[in-house]
Amino acid sequence: MFIIEFVVLMFLISVFAGVFGSIVGLGGGIVVVPVLTVLMGVDIHFAIGASIVAIIGTSSGAASTYVRDKVTNLRVGMFLELASASGAITGAAIAAYTNSAALAVIFGSILLVSLVPMLMKIGVDVPQSPELEGPSKRLGLTGSYTEPDGRVVRYNATRPAEGLAGTAVAGVLSGLLGIGGGAFKVISMDLAMKLPMKVSTTTSNFMIGVTAAASAGIYFARGDVVPIIVAPVALGILIGAAIGARLLLRSRNTTVRKVFAVVLAIAAAEMILSALGVAP
Amino acid sequence: MNLRDPDSMNVVIGKVLRYGVLLSGVIILLGTIGMAAGNGFSDTSAALTYSDTVPHDSLDVSPAALLHGLVTFSAFSWIELGVIVLIATPVARVMISVLLFAAERDKLYVLITAVVLTLLLFSMLVTPFIPGFHA
Repeated sequence: MFIIEFVVLMFLISVFAGVFGSIVGLGGGIVVVPVLTVLMGVDIHFAIGASIVAIIGTSSGAASTYVRDKVTNLRVGMFLELASASGAITGAAIAAYTNSAALAVIFGSILLVSLVPMLMKIGVDVPQSPELEGPSKRLGLTGSYTEPDGRVVRYNATRPAEGLAGTAVAGVLSGLLGIGGGAFKVISMDLAMKLPMKVSTTTSNFMIGVTAAASAGIYFARGDVVPIIVAPVALGILIGAAIGARLLLRSRNTTVRKVFAVVLAIAAAEMILSALGVAP
Repeated sequence: MNLRDPDSMNVVIGKVLRYGVLLSGVIILLGTIGMAAGNGFSDTSAALTYSDTVPHDSLDVSPAALLHGLVTFSAFSWIELGVIVLIATPVARVMISVLLFAAERDKLYVLITAVVLTLLLFSMLVTPFIPGFHA
Protein backbone atom coordinates (compact mmCIF):
# COMPACT_ATOMS: atom_id res chain seq x y z
CA MET A 1 0.00 0.00 0.00
CA PHE A 2 1.21 3.47 -0.79
CA ILE A 3 1.89 5.61 2.23
CA ILE A 4 -0.38 8.42 1.06
CA GLU A 5 -3.27 5.95 0.96
CA PHE A 6 -2.36 4.71 4.43
CA VAL A 7 -2.48 8.27 5.78
CA VAL A 8 -5.83 9.11 4.14
CA LEU A 9 -7.44 5.81 5.14
CA MET A 10 -6.23 6.05 8.76
CA PHE A 11 -7.50 9.62 8.91
CA LEU A 12 -11.01 8.58 7.81
CA ILE A 13 -11.14 5.55 10.12
CA SER A 14 -9.98 7.73 12.99
CA VAL A 15 -12.79 10.22 12.40
CA PHE A 16 -15.20 7.30 12.82
CA ALA A 17 -13.30 6.09 15.93
CA GLY A 18 -13.45 9.59 17.42
CA VAL A 19 -17.21 9.85 16.92
CA PHE A 20 -17.96 6.53 18.63
CA GLY A 21 -15.22 6.80 21.25
CA SER A 22 -16.43 10.17 22.46
CA ILE A 23 -20.06 9.04 22.71
CA VAL A 24 -19.44 5.83 24.67
CA GLY A 25 -16.61 7.24 26.79
CA LEU A 26 -14.04 4.58 25.84
CA GLY A 27 -11.80 6.60 23.54
CA GLY A 28 -10.98 5.66 19.97
CA GLY A 29 -8.43 2.99 20.80
CA ILE A 30 -10.73 0.00 20.44
CA VAL A 31 -11.27 0.88 16.77
CA VAL A 32 -7.75 2.07 15.98
CA VAL A 33 -5.82 -0.94 17.36
CA PRO A 34 -7.56 -3.73 15.37
CA VAL A 35 -7.64 -1.63 12.18
CA LEU A 36 -3.92 -0.90 12.39
CA THR A 37 -2.89 -4.45 13.23
CA VAL A 38 -5.36 -6.53 11.19
CA LEU A 39 -6.02 -4.35 8.14
CA MET A 40 -2.79 -2.38 7.90
CA GLY A 41 -0.31 -4.96 9.14
CA VAL A 42 1.22 -2.53 11.60
CA ASP A 43 3.27 -3.81 14.54
CA ILE A 44 1.17 -4.15 17.73
CA HIS A 45 3.57 -1.83 19.62
CA PHE A 46 3.02 0.98 17.12
CA ALA A 47 -0.73 0.29 17.20
CA ILE A 48 -0.87 0.65 20.99
CA GLY A 49 1.25 3.81 20.76
CA ALA A 50 -1.29 5.20 18.28
CA SER A 51 -4.13 4.02 20.52
CA ILE A 52 -2.77 6.03 23.47
CA VAL A 53 -2.70 9.13 21.26
CA ALA A 54 -6.22 8.32 20.02
CA ILE A 55 -7.57 7.99 23.58
CA ILE A 56 -6.01 11.28 24.72
CA GLY A 57 -7.29 13.02 21.59
CA THR A 58 -10.85 11.69 22.00
CA SER A 59 -10.82 12.60 25.66
CA SER A 60 -9.60 16.19 25.41
CA GLY A 61 -11.32 16.87 22.08
CA ALA A 62 -14.80 15.91 23.30
CA ALA A 63 -14.33 16.94 26.94
CA SER A 64 -13.83 20.58 25.97
CA THR A 65 -17.47 20.55 24.84
CA TYR A 66 -18.85 18.23 27.56
CA VAL A 67 -17.23 20.24 30.37
CA ARG A 68 -18.42 23.57 29.01
CA ASP A 69 -21.99 22.24 28.72
CA LYS A 70 -21.72 20.66 32.20
CA VAL A 71 -22.67 17.13 31.21
CA THR A 72 -19.38 15.87 32.62
CA ASN A 73 -19.36 15.87 36.42
CA LEU A 74 -15.95 17.33 37.31
CA ARG A 75 -15.99 16.30 40.97
CA VAL A 76 -16.99 12.72 40.19
CA GLY A 77 -14.27 12.60 37.53
CA MET A 78 -11.52 13.98 39.70
CA PHE A 79 -12.52 11.88 42.72
CA LEU A 80 -12.46 8.69 40.63
CA GLU A 81 -9.14 9.68 39.05
CA LEU A 82 -7.59 8.86 42.43
CA ALA A 83 -8.46 5.22 41.76
CA SER A 84 -7.75 5.13 38.02
CA ALA A 85 -4.30 6.70 38.43
CA SER A 86 -3.21 4.44 41.29
CA GLY A 87 -4.73 1.46 39.46
CA ALA A 88 -2.74 2.28 36.32
CA ILE A 89 0.55 2.25 38.20
CA THR A 90 -0.43 -1.04 39.88
CA GLY A 91 -1.36 -2.49 36.49
CA ALA A 92 2.02 -1.56 35.04
CA ALA A 93 3.68 -3.29 38.00
CA ILE A 94 1.51 -6.41 37.58
CA ALA A 95 2.28 -6.52 33.86
CA ALA A 96 5.98 -6.53 34.66
CA TYR A 97 5.72 -9.69 36.73
CA THR A 98 2.75 -11.75 35.55
CA ASN A 99 1.11 -13.21 32.50
CA SER A 100 -1.16 -10.43 31.30
CA ALA A 101 -2.97 -12.68 28.79
CA ALA A 102 -4.65 -14.67 31.56
CA LEU A 103 -5.69 -11.47 33.28
CA ALA A 104 -7.07 -10.09 30.02
CA VAL A 105 -9.35 -13.12 29.73
CA ILE A 106 -10.60 -12.57 33.29
CA PHE A 107 -11.21 -8.85 32.77
CA GLY A 108 -12.86 -9.45 29.40
CA SER A 109 -15.18 -11.99 31.01
CA ILE A 110 -16.13 -9.52 33.76
CA LEU A 111 -16.99 -6.99 31.05
CA LEU A 112 -19.19 -9.55 29.29
CA VAL A 113 -20.96 -10.40 32.56
CA SER A 114 -21.55 -6.72 33.31
CA LEU A 115 -23.52 -6.54 30.07
CA VAL A 116 -26.39 -8.27 31.90
CA PRO A 117 -27.25 -5.52 34.43
CA MET A 118 -26.48 -3.00 31.69
CA LEU A 119 -29.08 -4.58 29.41
CA MET A 120 -31.63 -4.79 32.24
CA LYS A 121 -31.53 -0.99 32.39
CA ILE A 122 -31.79 -0.63 28.62
CA GLY A 123 -34.99 1.45 28.60
CA VAL A 124 -34.10 3.61 31.63
CA ASP A 125 -33.76 7.27 30.73
CA VAL A 126 -32.72 8.84 34.05
CA PRO A 127 -32.33 6.56 37.09
CA GLN A 128 -34.25 7.30 40.30
CA SER A 129 -31.86 9.63 42.07
CA PRO A 130 -31.02 8.71 45.69
CA GLU A 131 -30.78 11.22 48.55
CA LEU A 132 -27.43 13.00 48.75
CA GLU A 133 -25.99 11.63 51.99
CA GLY A 134 -22.89 10.23 53.68
CA PRO A 135 -19.60 10.27 51.80
CA SER A 136 -21.30 11.34 48.53
CA LYS A 137 -22.48 14.49 50.30
CA ARG A 138 -19.09 15.24 51.83
CA LEU A 139 -17.49 14.75 48.40
CA GLY A 140 -20.09 16.93 46.67
CA LEU A 141 -20.96 14.18 44.17
CA THR A 142 -24.07 15.81 42.81
CA GLY A 143 -24.92 17.72 39.68
CA SER A 144 -27.39 18.69 37.00
CA TYR A 145 -27.39 19.07 33.25
CA THR A 146 -29.86 20.17 30.59
CA GLU A 147 -31.36 17.75 28.09
CA PRO A 148 -31.80 18.93 24.47
CA ASP A 149 -35.55 19.37 25.12
CA GLY A 150 -34.78 21.89 27.88
CA ARG A 151 -35.51 19.50 30.78
CA VAL A 152 -33.03 19.95 33.66
CA VAL A 153 -31.90 16.60 35.07
CA ARG A 154 -30.70 16.71 38.71
CA TYR A 155 -28.93 13.71 40.13
CA ASN A 156 -26.93 12.53 43.14
CA ALA A 157 -24.24 9.87 43.13
CA THR A 158 -24.47 6.94 45.52
CA ARG A 159 -21.97 4.32 46.77
CA PRO A 160 -18.76 6.26 45.98
CA ALA A 161 -16.60 3.55 47.59
CA GLU A 162 -17.88 0.97 45.10
CA GLY A 163 -17.38 3.44 42.27
CA LEU A 164 -13.83 3.96 43.43
CA ALA A 165 -13.19 0.19 43.57
CA GLY A 166 -14.58 -0.34 40.06
CA THR A 167 -12.50 2.53 38.73
CA ALA A 168 -9.38 1.07 40.37
CA VAL A 169 -10.02 -2.08 38.29
CA ALA A 170 -10.32 0.19 35.24
CA GLY A 171 -6.95 1.73 36.08
CA VAL A 172 -5.27 -1.66 36.53
CA LEU A 173 -6.58 -2.72 33.14
CA SER A 174 -5.27 0.43 31.44
CA GLY A 175 -1.85 -0.02 33.03
CA LEU A 176 -1.82 -3.70 32.16
CA LEU A 177 -3.01 -3.72 28.57
CA GLY A 178 -2.96 -0.07 27.52
CA ILE A 179 -6.67 -0.38 26.67
CA GLY A 180 -10.04 -1.23 28.15
CA GLY A 181 -10.13 1.14 31.11
CA GLY A 182 -13.03 3.26 29.89
CA ALA A 183 -15.52 0.40 29.96
CA PHE A 184 -15.02 -0.27 33.67
CA LYS A 185 -15.24 3.44 34.41
CA VAL A 186 -18.63 3.77 32.69
CA ILE A 187 -19.91 0.59 34.36
CA SER A 188 -18.79 1.79 37.81
CA MET A 189 -20.57 5.11 37.43
CA ASP A 190 -23.66 3.56 35.89
CA LEU A 191 -24.17 0.46 38.04
CA ALA A 192 -22.59 1.49 41.37
CA MET A 193 -23.01 5.24 41.50
CA LYS A 194 -26.32 5.35 39.57
CA LEU A 195 -25.45 8.38 37.46
CA PRO A 196 -27.41 9.19 34.29
CA MET A 197 -25.87 7.39 31.28
CA LYS A 198 -24.69 10.57 29.55
CA VAL A 199 -23.00 11.76 32.74
CA SER A 200 -21.28 8.36 33.06
CA THR A 201 -19.93 8.21 29.50
CA THR A 202 -18.85 11.86 29.36
CA THR A 203 -17.20 11.70 32.80
CA SER A 204 -15.39 8.53 31.71
CA ASN A 205 -14.38 10.34 28.53
CA PHE A 206 -13.00 13.16 30.71
CA MET A 207 -10.96 10.72 32.83
CA ILE A 208 -9.47 8.43 30.17
CA GLY A 209 -7.18 11.20 28.91
CA VAL A 210 -5.44 11.32 32.27
CA THR A 211 -5.19 7.53 32.51
CA ALA A 212 -3.76 7.32 28.99
CA ALA A 213 -1.35 10.22 29.62
CA ALA A 214 -0.09 8.33 32.68
CA SER A 215 1.17 5.52 30.47
CA ALA A 216 2.08 7.73 27.47
CA GLY A 217 5.56 8.41 28.84
CA ILE A 218 6.63 4.82 28.54
CA TYR A 219 5.34 4.34 24.98
CA PHE A 220 6.89 7.60 23.88
CA ALA A 221 10.25 6.76 25.45
CA ARG A 222 10.27 3.38 23.69
CA GLY A 223 9.66 4.98 20.30
CA ASP A 224 6.23 3.38 19.88
CA VAL A 225 4.64 6.71 18.95
CA VAL A 226 5.48 6.85 15.25
CA PRO A 227 4.78 10.22 13.56
CA ILE A 228 3.52 8.85 10.26
CA ILE A 229 1.00 6.61 12.05
CA VAL A 230 -0.12 8.95 14.82
CA ALA A 231 -0.46 12.09 12.66
CA PRO A 232 -3.51 10.95 10.65
CA VAL A 233 -4.91 9.17 13.74
CA ALA A 234 -4.66 12.30 15.92
CA LEU A 235 -6.14 14.62 13.28
CA GLY A 236 -9.00 12.25 12.48
CA ILE A 237 -9.72 11.57 16.15
CA LEU A 238 -9.89 15.26 17.04
CA ILE A 239 -12.40 15.93 14.25
CA GLY A 240 -14.40 12.82 15.11
CA ALA A 241 -14.50 13.72 18.82
CA ALA A 242 -15.84 17.18 18.02
CA ILE A 243 -18.62 15.60 15.92
CA GLY A 244 -19.32 12.89 18.52
CA ALA A 245 -19.63 15.43 21.33
CA ARG A 246 -22.30 17.33 19.42
CA LEU A 247 -24.15 14.09 18.63
CA LEU A 248 -24.13 12.98 22.29
CA LEU A 249 -25.52 16.27 23.53
CA ARG A 250 -28.47 15.82 21.17
CA SER A 251 -28.98 12.13 21.98
CA ARG A 252 -31.18 10.51 24.61
CA ASN A 253 -29.73 8.57 27.54
CA THR A 254 -31.45 5.42 26.27
CA THR A 255 -29.74 5.74 22.87
CA VAL A 256 -26.32 6.25 24.46
CA ARG A 257 -26.88 3.14 26.62
CA LYS A 258 -27.76 1.02 23.58
CA VAL A 259 -24.67 2.17 21.66
CA PHE A 260 -22.54 1.59 24.76
CA ALA A 261 -23.88 -1.97 25.24
CA VAL A 262 -22.99 -2.89 21.65
CA VAL A 263 -19.50 -1.37 21.88
CA LEU A 264 -18.96 -3.03 25.28
CA ALA A 265 -19.78 -6.46 23.85
CA ILE A 266 -17.33 -5.91 20.98
CA ALA A 267 -14.61 -4.56 23.27
CA ALA A 268 -14.94 -7.49 25.69
CA ALA A 269 -14.85 -10.03 22.86
CA GLU A 270 -11.84 -8.28 21.33
CA MET A 271 -10.01 -8.39 24.66
CA ILE A 272 -10.67 -12.09 25.24
CA LEU A 273 -9.92 -13.16 21.65
CA SER A 274 -6.67 -11.22 21.50
CA ALA A 275 -5.56 -12.66 24.85
CA LEU A 276 -6.29 -16.17 23.59
CA GLY A 277 -4.23 -15.42 20.50
CA VAL A 278 -7.18 -15.71 18.12
CA ALA A 279 -7.08 -12.04 17.16
CA PRO A 280 -4.24 -9.51 17.57
CA MET B 1 -13.96 36.20 35.86
CA ASN B 2 -14.77 35.36 39.47
CA LEU B 3 -12.90 32.13 40.20
CA ARG B 4 -14.96 31.52 43.35
CA ASP B 5 -18.04 31.06 41.22
CA PRO B 6 -18.39 27.25 40.82
CA ASP B 7 -19.37 27.66 37.16
CA SER B 8 -16.03 29.27 36.33
CA MET B 9 -14.33 25.90 36.73
CA ASN B 10 -16.24 24.45 33.77
CA VAL B 11 -15.38 27.48 31.66
CA VAL B 12 -11.66 27.47 32.50
CA ILE B 13 -11.17 23.70 32.18
CA GLY B 14 -13.17 23.70 28.94
CA LYS B 15 -10.86 26.37 27.55
CA VAL B 16 -7.66 24.64 28.67
CA LEU B 17 -8.78 21.48 26.85
CA ARG B 18 -9.97 23.36 23.76
CA TYR B 19 -6.78 25.41 23.35
CA GLY B 20 -4.55 22.39 24.04
CA VAL B 21 -6.37 20.38 21.39
CA LEU B 22 -6.35 23.23 18.85
CA LEU B 23 -2.65 23.95 19.34
CA SER B 24 -1.71 20.29 19.02
CA GLY B 25 -4.02 19.81 16.03
CA VAL B 26 -2.50 22.76 14.17
CA ILE B 27 1.09 21.62 14.83
CA ILE B 28 0.31 18.04 13.75
CA LEU B 29 -1.50 19.34 10.64
CA LEU B 30 1.48 21.52 9.66
CA GLY B 31 3.79 18.56 10.23
CA THR B 32 1.57 16.33 8.10
CA ILE B 33 1.51 18.88 5.28
CA GLY B 34 5.28 19.16 5.55
CA MET B 35 5.54 15.37 5.44
CA ALA B 36 3.39 15.20 2.31
CA ALA B 37 5.18 18.09 0.59
CA GLY B 38 8.72 17.06 1.51
CA ASN B 39 10.35 13.69 1.56
CA GLY B 40 8.28 12.42 4.47
CA PHE B 41 6.50 9.80 2.40
CA SER B 42 9.83 8.23 1.58
CA ASP B 43 11.00 4.65 1.96
CA THR B 44 12.13 5.12 5.57
CA SER B 45 8.72 6.17 6.75
CA ALA B 46 7.08 3.45 4.71
CA ALA B 47 9.27 0.86 6.36
CA LEU B 48 8.34 2.19 9.80
CA THR B 49 4.78 1.03 9.43
CA TYR B 50 5.76 -2.55 8.77
CA SER B 51 6.98 -4.66 11.63
CA ASP B 52 9.10 -7.06 9.58
CA THR B 53 11.39 -4.37 8.23
CA VAL B 54 12.11 -2.21 11.25
CA PRO B 55 12.30 -3.21 14.92
CA HIS B 56 9.90 -1.26 17.10
CA ASP B 57 12.56 0.50 19.17
CA SER B 58 14.46 2.07 16.29
CA LEU B 59 13.10 5.59 16.63
CA ASP B 60 15.37 8.19 18.23
CA VAL B 61 13.16 9.93 20.78
CA SER B 62 15.82 11.74 22.80
CA PRO B 63 15.10 15.41 23.58
CA ALA B 64 18.28 16.37 21.69
CA ALA B 65 17.08 14.58 18.54
CA LEU B 66 13.68 16.22 18.85
CA LEU B 67 15.17 19.69 19.27
CA HIS B 68 17.49 19.16 16.32
CA GLY B 69 14.54 18.04 14.22
CA LEU B 70 12.48 21.07 15.21
CA VAL B 71 15.13 23.63 14.27
CA THR B 72 15.85 21.86 10.99
CA PHE B 73 12.09 21.76 10.25
CA SER B 74 11.84 18.00 10.14
CA ALA B 75 8.16 17.19 9.61
CA PHE B 76 8.42 14.14 11.89
CA SER B 77 9.78 16.20 14.77
CA TRP B 78 7.01 18.75 14.43
CA ILE B 79 4.41 15.98 14.52
CA GLU B 80 6.13 14.63 17.62
CA LEU B 81 5.90 18.09 19.20
CA GLY B 82 2.18 18.21 18.41
CA VAL B 83 1.73 14.79 20.05
CA ILE B 84 3.63 16.00 23.13
CA VAL B 85 1.28 19.01 23.36
CA LEU B 86 -1.67 16.60 23.07
CA ILE B 87 -0.31 14.38 25.87
CA ALA B 88 0.45 17.44 28.01
CA THR B 89 -3.13 18.77 27.72
CA PRO B 90 -4.75 16.47 30.33
CA VAL B 91 -1.74 17.01 32.60
CA ALA B 92 -2.24 20.78 32.35
CA ARG B 93 -5.93 20.24 33.05
CA VAL B 94 -5.14 18.42 36.33
CA MET B 95 -2.60 21.10 37.34
CA ILE B 96 -5.09 23.89 36.73
CA SER B 97 -7.82 21.97 38.60
CA VAL B 98 -5.65 22.07 41.75
CA LEU B 99 -5.46 25.88 41.44
CA LEU B 100 -9.17 26.25 40.67
CA PHE B 101 -10.19 24.21 43.72
CA ALA B 102 -7.78 26.32 45.79
CA ALA B 103 -9.53 29.45 44.48
CA GLU B 104 -12.85 27.90 45.56
CA ARG B 105 -11.33 27.20 49.01
CA ASP B 106 -12.27 23.54 48.58
CA LYS B 107 -9.53 21.89 50.64
CA LEU B 108 -10.76 18.31 50.10
CA TYR B 109 -10.56 18.64 46.32
CA VAL B 110 -7.24 20.50 46.42
CA LEU B 111 -5.93 17.40 48.20
CA ILE B 112 -7.63 14.96 45.80
CA THR B 113 -6.40 16.69 42.64
CA ALA B 114 -2.89 17.19 44.09
CA VAL B 115 -2.67 13.44 44.79
CA VAL B 116 -3.91 12.69 41.24
CA LEU B 117 -1.28 15.06 39.82
CA THR B 118 1.47 13.39 41.85
CA LEU B 119 0.38 9.91 40.73
CA LEU B 120 0.16 11.10 37.12
CA LEU B 121 3.62 12.67 37.07
CA PHE B 122 5.10 9.65 38.86
CA SER B 123 3.56 7.32 36.30
CA MET B 124 4.61 9.44 33.31
CA LEU B 125 8.12 10.33 34.35
CA VAL B 126 9.33 7.71 36.84
CA THR B 127 7.83 4.33 35.92
CA PRO B 128 9.39 4.28 32.40
CA PHE B 129 12.77 4.10 34.11
CA ILE B 130 11.96 1.27 36.52
CA PRO B 131 13.50 -1.88 35.00
CA GLY B 132 10.96 -4.48 33.97
CA PHE B 133 8.00 -2.10 33.85
CA HIS B 134 6.42 -2.11 30.44
CA ALA B 135 3.02 -0.55 31.16
